[in-house]
Amino acid sequence: MTQVQPSAPLIELRDVHKSFGSIEVLKGVSMSVRDGGVVCIIGPSGSGKSTILRCINGLITIDRGTVRVGSFAVETLTKDKHLVPLRHEVAMVFQQYNLFPHRTVLQNLTMAPVQVLGEKPAVVRERALALLAKVRLTGKENAYPGELSGGQQQRVAIARALAMQPRVILFDEVTAALDPEMVSEVLNVIRELAREGMTCVLVTHEMRFAQEVADEIFFTDKGVIVEHGPPARLFKSPNDPRLKAFLDKVL
Amino acid sequence: MNAHVKIFLVGVLGVTLVLVALFVAVYGADSGAILRDVAGRTPLLLSGSADFSAFEGGFAANIVISLWAMALAAVAGTALGVGMISQSAVIRGPSVLVMNLLRNSPWLVVLYAMLYLLPFEVRIFGRFIEISPMIKATIGLALPVTANIAEVFRGGVESVPTGQWESARALGYRRLQILRRVVVPQAIPIMTPNLMTTYAMLFIGSSLVVVTGTHDVLSVARTVIASDGDHVATAVYLYILYLFFLFCFPIAILTRWLEQRVRVRK
Repeated sequence: MTQVQPSAPLIELRDVHKSFGSIEVLKGVSMSVRDGGVVCIIGPSGSGKSTILRCINGLITIDRGTVRVGSFAVETLTKDKHLVPLRHEVAMVFQQYNLFPHRTVLQNLTMAPVQVLGEKPAVVRERALALLAKVRLTGKENAYPGELSGGQQQRVAIARALAMQPRVILFDEVTAALDPEMVSEVLNVIRELAREGMTCVLVTHEMRFAQEVADEIFFTDKGVIVEHGPPARLFKSPNDPRLKAFLDKVL
Repeated sequence: MNAHVKIFLVGVLGVTLVLVALFVAVYGADSGAILRDVAGRTPLLLSGSADFSAFEGGFAANIVISLWAMALAAVAGTALGVGMISQSAVIRGPSVLVMNLLRNSPWLVVLYAMLYLLPFEVRIFGRFIEISPMIKATIGLALPVTANIAEVFRGGVESVPTGQWESARALGYRRLQILRRVVVPQAIPIMTPNLMTTYAMLFIGSSLVVVTGTHDVLSVARTVIASDGDHVATAVYLYILYLFFLFCFPIAILTRWLEQRVRVRK
C-alpha cells in the first residue's frame, strides 16, 4: 500500500476518559500512532498505561472521547459481534502470557483464526508453523504451555497474536513477569517485529529497550499524558518535572 | 492410587464386619436361617423380578432413575449455571432465584409436589403418553440436583483466572464461545469431583422415590417383608444399606483420588 496520506494515523485517541467506580483512571488522554510506528508508553504504576491499551482494542469501554483504529470507531462498538473485525486487526500480548493451558502450543496459535475468523485449518497450520519458527520455538508444537519456560510462553503468546494477522500489536508489560535471563529473548522478537514494520504499542518498564525501538514515547502520570516525543529528546532533555523525577528513579 | 486402594479395602471390610456384627446381635441363633431367607430374595431386591428375568424394579430401578436424573440435571444445571453468570441482569436475576429456590427445597417435598403437579398423562400430537411414577420420580430428583450442578458449574467457571477471559476476548472470541472453547474445558477437572459427590448424594436420595409409587428397592423390600413376615425386616434393611454402601463407597474413593490428582497438577 502506498502511503497517499501520511498524515492520517492508524490509531487515534481523542480526549479519552475512563473511570472505574469512583476512581478516574484516564482524564482526557489523546495520542496517535502512525501505521508502522512503534510507540512506548511509560510512567509510574497506576498511571493508566494498561488502561490505554485496553481502550484501543475495546477490552474496556470508555466513558468519554473517541478511539479510532483504522476505519473503526472503537467507542461505538458495543456488541461482542461488532468487535470481532477490530480484534482481527488489533492483537494483544499480556504480562501473564494468558496462553490456553489445556491446548498445545500449535493449537494456541490456530484456535482463534479457525474458530473466530473461520479460516481453513490447513492454511492456518502452515502459518502457525512458520510463526513458531520465527519466534524460534520449532519443535515445541505439541508441548503444553505449562511445560515451557516463561520466556518461551511469552514468545508463544506473541506468535499467537501474529497468527491473527493483525495490523497492530499491543504489548502490556510483556517482560514484567519474566526472570531476568529470559527478558532478552522476548525483546529480540519484538525488536524484529518493529523492524519489519509492524505497528506496535508497548507499555513497558524496559527504558533502554524503549529508547532503542520506539519512534515516539508517551509519558503518563495520574491519567494524563504529561509529555511525549522522540526518545532521544525525551530521555536527554525532559521538560516536565514529573518526567524528570520518574527518569531519575528508573534509569 | 495405592493409598486409595488400601482405604477402599479397609472400608469395605470394616463396614461388612460392622453390619454382620449388627445382624448377629439382632438375630442371635437364628442368624443362619434368616440370612438364607434374605439371600434368597436377592434377585427380587436387585432387579424387581424373582429370577433376574427383567431389571425394571428394585435396586436396578434406583440406578436407572439416578442416572437419568443426573443426565437431566446436568443439562438443566449447565443451562442454569450459564444463566447465573450472564452479564444481563434480566437473565442472571431469575436464574439465581430459581437456583436458590431449588437448592433450598427438601427433596421429599419436591417428589410429592411432582406427584401432584405432573399430570397422569400428556397429549403430544394427539397421542396420550403416560407419565409413569418412574418419570415423575426422575424429574423430582433432578430438580434439586439441577441447583447443585448449577452451583458447581458457577464455581468451576469462576476458578479459571480472568486473564483467560481477557486473552480470549482479545482474540475475538465471544462470551459463549469463550465458555465453550476456553473456560469450561479448564473448569471440568475442577468440577468433576464435585459432580461425582453430587451424584453419590443423588443416588442415596433415590431411596426417597418410593413415595411416588415407583418399584424401587425400598418398595420391593416392603413387599418382601409383607410376605415373609416382620421378623425379616431388620435383615432386609441391613441388606439394602449394604447395597447402597457398595455402590456409593467406590464413587467416594474415586472422587478423593481425582481431587488429589487435580491438586497435584496445579
